[in-house]
Amino acid sequence: MLDIAIRNGRIVDGSGLPAFIGDVGIKDGRIVRVGRITEEATHTIDAAGKVVAPGFIDPHTHFDAQLLWDGAAKPAIEHGVTTIVPGNCSLSLAPLKAEHRMKLVGMFNQIEEMPLKAFKEGVEWNWETFDEFVTRIKKDLSVNVAPLVGHSVLRLWVMGEESMKRCATADEVQAMQKLLAECIEAGAVGLSTSYVDMDETLQPVPSRYADESELDALCEVLSTHDRVLQIVHEFYDADLTVARIDQLAALSLKHGITTTLSPLFVNADDNGAVDKVMKRVKEQMAAGARVWPQVQTRPIDISFCFEVPSLLFIRLPSWYAIMRFGSHEDIVAAFSDPERRPALIAEAETEQMNPLWSRLVLRQVQTDANQGLVGKSLADIAQARGTGLVETMIDLSLEEDLQAHFLSADMGHNDNAKVGALLRDPNVHIGASDGGAHILSFSTYGDTGYLFSKFVRDEQALGLEAAVKKITSDTAAIWGLHDRGLLRAGFAADVTVFDADTIGRGPEYYVQDVPGDGSRYVRDATGVDTVIIGGAVAWSEAAGYTDARRGQILPT
Amino acid sequence: MSQPLPAARSFTRPQPNDDWASIAARELPDVPAEDAVGMLQSWNFHVFMRPASASGNTILPSDIIFLEAPAAEG
Ligand SMILES: [Zn+2]
Repeated sequence: MLDIAIRNGRIVDGSGLPAFIGDVGIKDGRIVRVGRITEEATHTIDAAGKVVAPGFIDPHTHFDAQLLWDGAAKPAIEHGVTTIVPGNCSLSLAPLKAEHRMKLVGMFNQIEEMPLKAFKEGVEWNWETFDEFVTRIKKDLSVNVAPLVGHSVLRLWVMGEESMKRCATADEVQAMQKLLAECIEAGAVGLSTSYVDMDETLQPVPSRYADESELDALCEVLSTHDRVLQIVHEFYDADLTVARIDQLAALSLKHGITTTLSPLFVNADDNGAVDKVMKRVKEQMAAGARVWPQVQTRPIDISFCFEVPSLLFIRLPSWYAIMRFGSHEDIVAAFSDPERRPALIAEAETEQMNPLWSRLVLRQVQTDANQGLVGKSLADIAQARGTGLVETMIDLSLEEDLQAHFLSADMGHNDNAKVGALLRDPNVHIGASDGGAHILSFSTYGDTGYLFSKFVRDEQALGLEAAVKKITSDTAAIWGLHDRGLLRAGFAADVTVFDADTIGRGPEYYVQDVPGDGSRYVRDATGVDTVIIGGAVAWSEAAGYTDARRGQILPT
Repeated sequence: MSQPLPAARSFTRPQPNDDWASIAARELPDVPAEDAVGMLQSWNFHVFMRPASASGNTILPSDIIFLEAPAAEG
C-alpha cells in the first residue's frame, strides 16, 4: 500500500527530458515508482491535465527569522517551493552569542529590511550554536531548509567588536575554521559572505574586514566537507563583478568547491554590462571552475511609505537620515517645517532622482478622502493639485499620517528578451529571490510562478521542461542536495503539481501577519495544485496548509 | 582546460594594514610614489570616494584594487 499515488499527470521529471504521461508512487517519504502504478494508495491525487514536477528549490532567501515563528516559510510552499536556502549575504541567525543578538538584529534590519519589532516580539532567543538553532527550527518545519552560515556572524562570534575593525589573526582564523566545521556538521550547506553590505550605523559588515587569506582558510573547510560558497558582489559594477568572478574561480579551482554570486541584474542603462559578466563566467566555467551567477526572474519593483526606511532613499542623505534614525514624529515635523521642507525638496529634485518621482504610483492610503487617488501616478496627482512631484509626495504622506504607499515599478531587470536569454543560459543559476527579506519594499514570493507565466508562456524564452530543470535538478546539483530535484525512485518525495497554463504569481498586496503587528508585501500563487514535502501533502489549493511537518535540514 | 584565460582588468587584493602608498610601492614600483598613489586612486573610485570606515582607512581588506584604468568602450 502506497502513501500517495499521483495519477495520470504530465510528468516533467526535472532532468530536462520531454514530459510523459504517468503516475508517481510515494511511500515513507520517498518516491518508490514513476510510470504506471497499479498498487493501491491511502491518498490518491488525480493529476490529469496537470504537470507533476519535483518541488522547486529557492537558493537565495532570508527566511532565517521567519522560520522561528513559521516553519512553512509562508507563502513559499504554496508557490511550489519545497526547499529554501536561508543564511545568504553573510548573515545567519547562528552561531550567535547572547551578547551579539541586538547587533545582528540591527544588521538584518538595515540590510534585509526586516522589522526590529518582529525580532523583539516574534523571537524567543534560546540558542547560541548552529546546532541549537537547527534543533530549534526543526521542531516545526514543513519546508526543507538548506541553511548557510554567515561569514559576518562567524567573525562576530570569534572576534566580537574587533570583527568590524580589522583583519583576523592566525589564531582567530583557526577558531573560525573550527567553528565553520562545527556548523557544517550540524547541517550547514555552506558559507555566505558579502562585499557590499553595511550595518545599521552604515559601517561595513564584519565579512568586509576579512582579507584574502581568511576566506581562503574558510574555503579549505568547505572543501573538506564539499560545501558551497555564496557571495554578494558589487552587482552595480561590471568590472568589479568580473574581478569577483575571477576571485571565486580561483577559490573554486584551488579547493574544488562550488561558488555562487548573487544577484546579477540586467541593467537598463548599461546593457553591455551583463554580457561582459557572462562572457567571463563562460570563460571561467570552460576553464573548469564552478562560478554560478544567480539571476532572478522578476523585474525590480519597489514600494515604500515614510513609516520605514527604504533603500530607494539611500543616495539622499537628509531623507535617509530622517527615515533611518527619526521617529514618526520627527519625520512629520521635518516634512511640515517651513525651512526643512524646501531643503528636502531641493535635495530630492535632481536630474538623477527626478525619473524616480515621475514613475511613482500611489498604491495604498488609509483615509477615505484619498481613496480615489489610489492607482494614479504621482505625476497625475501633482498636476491636478498644481504642486511639484516631491511636494505632492510629502503632502500625501502628511495627509495619510505617513501611511501613503508608493510603488516604483520596473526599476530595472525588465528587459524581457535579455532576462529570458539569461534564464535559459546553461551557465546561469536561477535564484536570488531574497525570499523573506525586504518585506516592506516588495514581495519576494512568486518568482517561480513568474518564470513559467512570463518566460515559458509569454516570452517562450525556454520550454517547460527546461524551466523545471533550472529550478529543480540544476539547483539540487549546484547545492549538493543529492536526493532532491528529480522524480526518480529512491529520491525524496518533494513534488509540485501545477497547471502549466495558469501557474503564475498573483498581484502584490500588503498584509499584517508579521509578529509585533508588522506588515509585509506578499503575493498569492496561481495555478499550483498540490505541494508534497517529504512524502506528505504540505499544501493544496483545495485544503490550504496541512499539519504535515516533514521538512528536513539539507543536505542529509 | 589549460588554455590561458583572456586578460581581464588586472587587480590586486590588499594585505593587512595596506594603504594607498604601500599598495603603490608594491604594485607600481617604477612610477614615482605620488603619481602612483594618484593613479591607483583614480582607478579605484569605488574605494577612494567611499566615506572612511570606523577604522579610519578607506581601504577594506576585502576590496578589489584595480591596477589599470577601465578598458575603453568598444
Ligand atoms: Zn540576500
